[in-house]
Amino acid sequence: MLTLTSPVETPLHRLPAGAKLAGLAVFTLGLFQISNLWVLAGLALALAALQLSFGRRFASHALRMLKPLWPFVLVLALWHLWTGALADGAFLVLRMGLAVAAANLVTMTTRLSDMLSVFEMLARPLSPLLPPRRLAMAFALVIRFIPNLAERMALLAQAHRARSARRPGWRLVVPAALAALDAADQAAEALRARGGAD
Amino acid sequence: MAGITLRDLGYAAAGKVILAGLNLQLDQRRIAIIGRNGSGKTTLLRLIAGLVAPSHGAVTVEGIDPYRDRKGALQRIGILFQNPEHQILFPTVEEELAFGLRQQGMTQKDALRRTRDALAAEGRAHWAQASVSTLSGGQKQWLCLQAVLLMAPETILLDEPFSGLDLPAIARVTRRLEALPQRLITISHDPASAAKAERVIWLEAGRLHADGPADQVLPQFTAEMARIGEADADADLAG
Repeated sequence: MLTLTSPVETPLHRLPAGAKLAGLAVFTLGLFQISNLWVLAGLALALAALQLSFGRRFASHALRMLKPLWPFVLVLALWHLWTGALADGAFLVLRMGLAVAAANLVTMTTRLSDMLSVFEMLARPLSPLLPPRRLAMAFALVIRFIPNLAERMALLAQAHRARSARRPGWRLVVPAALAALDAADQAAEALRARGGAD
Repeated sequence: MAGITLRDLGYAAAGKVILAGLNLQLDQRRIAIIGRNGSGKTTLLRLIAGLVAPSHGAVTVEGIDPYRDRKGALQRIGILFQNPEHQILFPTVEEELAFGLRQQGMTQKDALRRTRDALAAEGRAHWAQASVSTLSGGQKQWLCLQAVLLMAPETILLDEPFSGLDLPAIARVTRRLEALPQRLITISHDPASAAKAERVIWLEAGRLHADGPADQVLPQFTAEMARIGEADADADLAG
């Protein structure tokens, strides 16, 4: 999520995160009520136009974020070509694409901290079991340490490659797990140095 | 009671003695701790910061036990780790800076306001939302030091604050540290960076080896390090 928020400022950035998330939920539910293919196609065009109106840089970022969908699109297309139910296939692909694109749009235009405060608010009923500050702390630590661990993994892979012609593969599992435990120890000490988790 | 008092301080981990028999009264404004790798410098700093409990003896910081009284310790002592990567806990700059203030009892809103003011005062207002993973080594170091300074402790412990920094960054950090009104206790293995300290403490194998003004201790240290370097390989294993 760190690099997912778009650096291009759009009017959507200024809307409250809660409203955007609620809107997204309504939109996605609505997608499944629409039974006219042309309406779906129109929505897709409208969404694409909206993203283009925020500039080419924003639109190409949005397009890149749809990339992980291609294998699913391919499988659905092949299956429906084979069964001959082309309209069903188009429905599924459009619905999936619209739902993901709309979710991406919310992600790209919402700062991480705003997203987290919505989660904190939603988790408030759970507060006797799960103190909201501790939950927020857990979120923050996960977001902080995912790129950090990815970097450590990459360094381990490089250290392996520097002295071996074989691919590292599973051999990195143990050192990576140990690095994660190390990072946890260090984070615990850093927490203690500035007042602990409460 | 002013200053930091170590009484017969010792620390052992997994049966291995790392520090032993330290009796020191630290009340100067600029103190350097020097010694070779593995001499126990970092362990001493962690004991003073209250991150680990002594195995023997006691540490007192301005009258409190920094390990037991964490609230009191936060007002009195800040520590800058050697590797800023080990110190940063939050994904964005402002969260990292605001954390310590919240721990000292400020509300999130006030803590964020203070953080933004402090960033603006340093000409870095645009850093507030920046992701910590995009900062350079020197910038991470700056962030960690700023996070400690915002908590306004009376003493700041610095563990090799120049390691991993390039020359311009070293010059900047040195200037910044010199201007601080706080008591600074700095670990170093480089005699040049300890030259301005009022007092230099030399640790060797977990024990006090020498203690005095920089112009007395540093020449001895430099000569001894040169002598060891001349001798044959560094083949002894720890433990």
